[in-house]
Amino acid sequence: MNEWTIAIIKVVFIWSWTLLIATIMTWVERRGSALIQDRLGPNIAGPFGLFQPLADGIKLFTKEEFAPKHAHKILFTLGPVLFAIQAFSAYAVIPFGDKIVINAKEIVLQVADVNIGFLFVLAVGSLAVYGFVVGGWGSNNKYSLLGGLRATAQLLSYEVPLGLAMLAVCMTYGSFSLREISLDQAGTFLGFLPNWGIFKQPLGFLVFIVAAYAEANRVPFDLPEAESELVAGYHTEYGGMRLGLYLFGEYVNLYTLSALMVTIYFGAWHIPYVDMSSYLGPLAYGIVSFLVFFLKCAFFLWLFVWVRWTIPRFRFDQLMGLGWKSLIPLGLLNLFVTAFLIQITV
Amino acid sequence: MAKPVVQRKYTLGERIYLVEILKGLGLTWKHFIFNFRASLKPGPHTVPTCWQYPWDRREIAPVFRGEHMLSLDEKGREKCIACGMCARVCPAQCITVKKGKVKEGEEEKYAGKFYPASFEIDLLRCIFCGFCEETCPKSAIVLGQGYELAQYEGKECIITKERLINNFKAALDSGNLKPPRKKVPVAGAKEKKSLKSGDKKGSKAQEA
Repeated sequence: MNEWTIAIIKVVFIWSWTLLIATIMTWVERRGSALIQDRLGPNIAGPFGLFQPLADGIKLFTKEEFAPKHAHKILFTLGPVLFAIQAFSAYAVIPFGDKIVINAKEIVLQVADVNIGFLFVLAVGSLAVYGFVVGGWGSNNKYSLLGGLRATAQLLSYEVPLGLAMLAVCMTYGSFSLREISLDQAGTFLGFLPNWGIFKQPLGFLVFIVAAYAEANRVPFDLPEAESELVAGYHTEYGGMRLGLYLFGEYVNLYTLSALMVTIYFGAWHIPYVDMSSYLGPLAYGIVSFLVFFLKCAFFLWLFVWVRWTIPRFRFDQLMGLGWKSLIPLGLLNLFVTAFLIQITV
Repeated sequence: MAKPVVQRKYTLGERIYLVEILKGLGLTWKHFIFNFRASLKPGPHTVPTCWQYPWDRREIAPVFRGEHMLSLDEKGREKCIACGMCARVCPAQCITVKKGKVKEGEEEKYAGKFYPASFEIDLLRCIFCGFCEETCPKSAIVLGQGYELAQYEGKECIITKERLINNFKAALDSGNLKPPRKKVPVAGAKEKKSLKSGDKKGSKAQEA
């Protein structure tokens, strides 16, 4: 196998894997919300209703591709496509495991280990705004437009605290590359704690996770699609697979953000106090590191669902106030404290 | 004068909001775990607040007013005498009764001298008030417990005598017959003995 084949296999694998996770997440979201609200949720299709996403997918695919009369023909179709493209490409630089050895060939479980690392994630993540605002504008509907505008304001504001939190991480590890950050988190910190980013950057993690919820447009920050005021926000006029792309893109974004959180704050594939590579063979180590990484992601994916069905939605001015008046000062403070600590320890 | 609203000052812990969020998460987690455990149990009705409808039905009160039925007496004769009281009292005017005289040799089929040659109820018009049941001198028409009345076509909603009697037989078989209603006293009307005996007959039939 040459480099190209390996790269293509990795791309196809991670693409279908994120798609699979997004599909299962729709089921988790529905069953989880139901159980939290004393209901049962979809439990008819397949065991525990696991085939429900399949039924939903078939429905979305076979639905009429309806566009409103006055919608902009090109932009209306372009919106969901732009959103889905950025959602799927953001995962490219995030690892999904350590490395696997097949036929004495070492394969790194990451599509592209680029040295700009999470700058790429930030850059691609902010492209999501285009998906929202193009879709909102192209729909020619006031609610869609308002949703798109809100998405723009929200995503741009929360990009700043997200970037500040990540910048402090970058200062701590001295690298932008997500693989190097993951490798640095092996072993212990201060002798007894796992050497995870959260113990080095507790405040940074807090800022990051709040900003991540806003970036993913999830409750309590789902103002672009606030159904009680904007019908469905930017995807009011969408149906069929165009809507499907928006929904899939949202869940893929959730997975990307969860993976990012695990990579930079929760020790990526490392299990605390245990060095897996010394116990397992090279092939088994690759698979186990992938599973450990995924289990950590699964917790954060569940946290997204859990928080969504717990907290009520913010008002828009509260959202902006939280972003600009709390999170950005906290992010800056975190940055200064990190810089100070690095200065006195090194 | 409107009462002035005084906002309570939030404590620092409340203003940071994170502790409150954690409390909320704890509450939803309790619900989740309780319902998750319950949903793993076998059987249709596991989560206490959730009825899984086609397999799992709520108990219906004995006085429920559902789909109508025409009762038979203890000898299996139709009790209806086609007097038309139900059609007259019906506020939605959904009942149509055609009277027929009982012929020689058919006495074992009908309890009275007259019988309904046709008895139609338009369920699309019926408001399930139960006046027909109250006014019936022979306790013949009764509102049963059937509530799944959706049909594909409008004409299927006009139920005929056959179906009304079948409803009664089905209710009799499943033991879902309610005890006969007490007569509503009508001002100025003298209570007749024959009515009372009719009532007793009816109750016997329904016990059988």
